[in-house]
Amino acid sequence: MSANAVVDLSRAQFAFTALFHILWPVLTIGLSFFLVILEALWLKTQDSDYYHHARFWSKLFVLNFTVGVVSGLPMEFEFGTNWAEFSRFAGSFFGAMLGFEGAMAFMLEAGFLGIMLFGWQRVPRFVHFLSTLMVASGASLSALWIVMANSWMQTPAGGTFMHDRFVVTDFWAAMLNPDMVWGVSHMWIASIEIGCFVVGGLSAWHILKNRSPDFFVKSFKIALMVAIVVTPLQIYLGDGSGRSVFHTQPSKNAAIEGHWHTNSDGHGAPWALIAWPDAAKAGNDWSVDLPYVLSLLDTHTMDGKVEGLSDIPAQNRPPALPLLFYAFRLMVAIGFYLFGIMLISWWHVHRKGWRAQNWQSSPWLLKAWIAGLPLAYIAMEMGWVVREVGRQPWIIYGVLRTSQGASVLPASSIGFSITGFALLYAVLAIGFFIFAGHWLRNGPDLSMKPPPVTSPSGRKGGRT
Amino acid sequence: MNIQNFLIAFWIGVAGLSLLLYVVLDGFDLGVGILTLVVRDEEWRGKMMASLSSVWDANETWLILLGGVLFGAFPRVYAALLQGLYLPVILMLFSLIMRGVAFEFRHSSQRKLIWNIVFGLGSLGAAMSQGLILGAMIQGWPTFGGNYINNGWHWLTPFSLLTALGVTLGYALMGTGWLIFKTTGLMQDSAYRQGLMLLAATVAAGALVLGLTPSYNAHIAALWLGATALPYGAAAAAAVIAALITLWAYLKRREYWPFLGTLLLFTTSFIGLVGSLYPYAVFPAITWTDAASAPSTLLFMLAGILPLLPIMIFYNGYQYMVFRGKVDSAEYGGGEEAE
Repeated sequence: MSANAVVDLSRAQFAFTALFHILWPVLTIGLSFFLVILEALWLKTQDSDYYHHARFWSKLFVLNFTVGVVSGLPMEFEFGTNWAEFSRFAGSFFGAMLGFEGAMAFMLEAGFLGIMLFGWQRVPRFVHFLSTLMVASGASLSALWIVMANSWMQTPAGGTFMHDRFVVTDFWAAMLNPDMVWGVSHMWIASIEIGCFVVGGLSAWHILKNRSPDFFVKSFKIALMVAIVVTPLQIYLGDGSGRSVFHTQPSKNAAIEGHWHTNSDGHGAPWALIAWPDAAKAGNDWSVDLPYVLSLLDTHTMDGKVEGLSDIPAQNRPPALPLLFYAFRLMVAIGFYLFGIMLISWWHVHRKGWRAQNWQSSPWLLKAWIAGLPLAYIAMEMGWVVREVGRQPWIIYGVLRTSQGASVLPASSIGFSITGFALLYAVLAIGFFIFAGHWLRNGPDLSMKPPPVTSPSGRKGGRT
Repeated sequence: MNIQNFLIAFWIGVAGLSLLLYVVLDGFDLGVGILTLVVRDEEWRGKMMASLSSVWDANETWLILLGGVLFGAFPRVYAALLQGLYLPVILMLFSLIMRGVAFEFRHSSQRKLIWNIVFGLGSLGAAMSQGLILGAMIQGWPTFGGNYINNGWHWLTPFSLLTALGVTLGYALMGTGWLIFKTTGLMQDSAYRQGLMLLAATVAAGALVLGLTPSYNAHIAALWLGATALPYGAAAAAAVIAALITLWAYLKRREYWPFLGTLLLFTTSFIGLVGSLYPYAVFPAITWTDAASAPSTLLFMLAGILPLLPIMIFYNGYQYMVFRGKVDSAEYGGGEEAE
């Protein structure tokens, strides 16, 4: 098998394992913050509904968390197994970020997870709250380090590129690389937004089905309040990320917009609303263009210059142009959809108030929330497709080609691992949906007694 | 000692500490998993798994820390190890995925049998692949530009199968020590009996591994059989003493000492064996010094991670303390709702 085919196998494996893995940590991040809010509300109001909410959602949390942990473990090692040349080249920065993630994020998360899940009766309420907060902080810190490392692959900075490796001269410049703030904030808010639409969508389902509707209005309310903040914020961050790509990664920018010809002075670049980009003929087969809009989007002026793919050497253009073009549009459309249902729901509250019956009188709105749940995930996955496929053919943008970063391996070895991952992850996904289905049907246990206010004394099974 | 040598020594130390903590912590964890394969009583199996419920994730995190530390501080070691040991590493990852997810799915499932099997086999597979990796590390492999370029099966030899057996038995022995710690009555009694047999088997396999190691690694042969033998002899003596303590603990049925004795046995063997491989990270071509990152990285990582190490160890210890004591229910976390 040719060397290129081996590289493609490693790419396929990485794409599959990464796209699968990222489904879970986003909810870990979003849901852990939701659990912090619930527990804080419980401690403040002493309303046991919030305690029951915390116990209910933490069951989903642990299922989701487990799949995230076991599918995340291979990610830590795949850089070495399948991208050994990249690891040798970039390890002194990229590896350090993964080291920080392990030490600061995973340890914090894992070190308090047991107490958060099982420690309700074993530690004082305050210590339990602190543990939940630490788990949430650990999960978010993990996103910080990982997306920071990924941002560096998009916009490398902070050191010298030798012939065989990168030497860091300025760690702060490498960490605060041009894409970092946009990349990290866009992803972190995506996690909060997904958590918000999982909680909101599942609460809407309960209200719609008239299953403990008053109970679930409480979680729905929190989801809507969070949505009021994050859905517009995410659109703002998306715009910022897009303009960051325009400035730092012109080939990605041109590819996701199906933009071939750099606009001449005094003429605005048109924006293709829909099109079919064709790499072979170096143009779009057809397109519906809106004049000036691309200049407006990228530069916030009517005639700002936007570099087209034709001005980028063919060997430096990203592959899979229609995928990039439509993945980007789908992500943006979903971002606006989520923003839209937030606005309508807000208006609905304004008109009719929070009561469950009033929500039930607008079943279409509850259904729109339920649809928002899978859509939020799809938007996030599309975002990663844009980010990673759009970076190609580079593994480190402008510095190291993906083909130069791959491990030398027998194709049969990768064939074995890719098959194994596909089978195992199918089991993980099926198992998760079966058990999450049980959890959803069983509903919350409202008879559960909250732990006493004072420090628990009857510690089970203590040394006696 | 110049600054780079100091930094390299420090990071070898941190990598070694992460590996040691991983081996002993996930070691007993995987060991309990292996032992679930031979338990018939579902209630017992439930209690065995419940004893791990609050710690298995934290135990596995030391492996993630090890990966990150190697990747940052010794990128060439990270790359050579993982590329060179592709198949056993993938087998280990698959096994860890299986056991981790079976752990939680079993809890939610009405059909425990399938997840029991997945959990047990995953634990066994992880222990065996780690043993294969150990054997391959001792034997070393030829590299070209850091890469192994032959057919990919160098890690599968009679010697690595022996180390796989040794590690599996040793993990199971730590598992019985943990169960003695966490259980009472008939379950504890059974763990005492299993542990005694496992101790004999582990010591026999370990002695065989140690006896054969010099003939599989010329560097170690020179160290152990030459004028430099003293520190390694001392480590071996300490391991023998640890084995005797463990034996005494099993015969006298001292609750804490089977686990602590086994921990000591693992620690002394680990230091002796891993210490012998130094200065090689991947024998015979890649040394730690050659593989280290530039001083800027080593220093930056030191500033970021050194202050966290005691904190990490503290809160991990705190979590163990919160869940100390005997497991008396198959409910994860100790069955709080029964209160």
